[in-house]
Amino acid sequence: MDYNQTFAKEVYEKVDSGDEIKVCMQCGVCGATCPLRGEMKYGPRQIWSLIRAGRRDEVLNNPDIMLCTSCYTCQVRCPRGVPIMEVMHGLAHYALAQGIVPRAETAKFGKAFWEGIYDTGRVDEAVVPIKYCLQDGLVAGLKKSLGMMDIGLALMKAKRMKPKMFIPPNIFIPGVHKIKGVKQLQRMLDKAAAIDAAKEA
Amino acid sequence: MTDETKKAILVVGGGMSGLSAALEAAEAGYQVVLVEKNAYVGGRVAQLHQYFPKLCPPYCGLEINFRRVKSNPRITIHTLAEVTSIEGAPGDFTVKVKVSPRYVNDKCTACGKCADAVSATIPNPFNYGLDQIKAAYLPHDLAMPLRYVIDPSIAGTDEGQKAAAACPYGAVDLGDAGQELSLNVGAVIWAAGWTPYDPSKIEYYNFDKSPNIVTNVQFERLAAVNGPTSGAIQRPGDGAAPKKVAFIQCAGSRDENHLPFCSSICCLASLKQSTYVMEKLPEAEITIYFIDIRAMDRNEDFYTKVKASNKVQFVKSKIAMITPQANGNLILEGENTATGERFKAEHDLVVLATGMQPNTALSQVPFDVTYDPYGFLTSGQAVIGVGTVRRPSEVVTCVQDGTSAALKAIQAVGR
Repeated sequence: MDYNQTFAKEVYEKVDSGDEIKVCMQCGVCGATCPLRGEMKYGPRQIWSLIRAGRRDEVLNNPDIMLCTSCYTCQVRCPRGVPIMEVMHGLAHYALAQGIVPRAETAKFGKAFWEGIYDTGRVDEAVVPIKYCLQDGLVAGLKKSLGMMDIGLALMKAKRMKPKMFIPPNIFIPGVHKIKGVKQLQRMLDKAAAIDAAKEA
Repeated sequence: MTDETKKAILVVGGGMSGLSAALEAAEAGYQVVLVEKNAYVGGRVAQLHQYFPKLCPPYCGLEINFRRVKSNPRITIHTLAEVTSIEGAPGDFTVKVKVSPRYVNDKCTACGKCADAVSATIPNPFNYGLDQIKAAYLPHDLAMPLRYVIDPSIAGTDEGQKAAAACPYGAVDLGDAGQELSLNVGAVIWAAGWTPYDPSKIEYYNFDKSPNIVTNVQFERLAAVNGPTSGAIQRPGDGAAPKKVAFIQCAGSRDENHLPFCSSICCLASLKQSTYVMEKLPEAEITIYFIDIRAMDRNEDFYTKVKASNKVQFVKSKIAMITPQANGNLILEGENTATGERFKAEHDLVVLATGMQPNTALSQVPFDVTYDPYGFLTSGQAVIGVGTVRRPSEVVTCVQDGTSAALKAIQAVGR
């Protein structure tokens, strides 16, 4: 097999916590403990293996790197102490910075979540789904929200979502309800983004 | 060289390392005091069914060593004894030893009448709690000294009185208060041994939730003729003969959350134990789940032999989860790192290859000594570490290390 170290070195240098995967001993606990193990094609261990094998396209286009829900199970159980969750998010972030979108819906949801924080300094559980659904226009948004009705109902049943969340003043309307000093927050976030961009370039 | 002009050598721990060190020093002409925490010497070796790679019974070798001890007047043994303080320097140490009461004196003939008279029981420490034993007991068949023990839990009770009344020789001494010893010795050898890593700390293995998950040391007892099942391999949960046995390697070892080091013996222990299953339950399926099989140097042959039998399935996977089922079976989950497949497998008996934790990590030497980050004693110190307090080792290495410790001690005494 033809091993190419170029991509592994790229990950070690440019991906957040990317160099931590060097100590991985390929035991497989991460992939087998992941609550999304049924959804992931590869799981962390095999992704590290693909990185070592230089398979850049396969890694950066892999939806698995965007499936991590940050539950930390793999990270606390990793016998080598690899911050697996951080590397998975680092890879997803790195892929997006390279103009690669491994999993479109996750990227859209992330964007909606992030924009809310950036604009108002808050996370509003009503704003995030609205922003997410309306990203591709009103018609597409309505279609999407109808398509996700079962999830919505399940959330309501579990009392994780309530209709009154969407009615002012309960909802923090973007552009209206901002934290104090949102400009300073934005300057901090801009600076962090610039540092990231310089690292990932 | 006469014994009188030289100071004695203290050996702390009467397992294979300590016994070897004590015998080598005594046979070279030095006075030796051996202090053992248990009621008997022989340590964990006495609890093994067979040694690897020769698959011979450890009782055989122990008996030879016991004969060497008995025929050597230079060795004094204190059982149920622990070192509480060490002062001084090589050539001149003062060591305090606390001896706990045994409640049985040297008139005991091991007739067993006290055990017959007593009805109270305790979890049998020799069988790692797999069965119960009378609270007046002989620790094991070949116990040295061959003398019963009255458990402290009954010493002050009617049960204790029954034991005393039943003894025809006046050997039960319920007034035994133990004693404090002060020893002046020229060298201290620390052979405190090891403890199997506590698998209940690996919470996703659910060790406490199923009797059908046992440790490798418990499995030795299940296979041993003098064990709780007289050598029949049974599920502790229901006594059934297992049909699908799983061995899980690195249960705690090579894990930053538990023991970060390789315990070095567990691969061979599981390979050896797989031969117990092959011999006693020829129909049973055997699977060994591993990260890497680490069969060091000549032991590679043993691995090759087991592999060639084609009776053991080797699955390259660290098990990530054990889930007990209502029927007592266990579902194992992992990722087969050779195929990439994430799997679930059902077994009816699971053996955890738990690693070696040095006892110096659990209870330190009462003297200014240095340890490595894992709690093992480092070399070249005033207190001489030997065997598994120095590094995880198999029996043969402990014997060699015992000899080397004896030599270091002799040099210290001669100073």
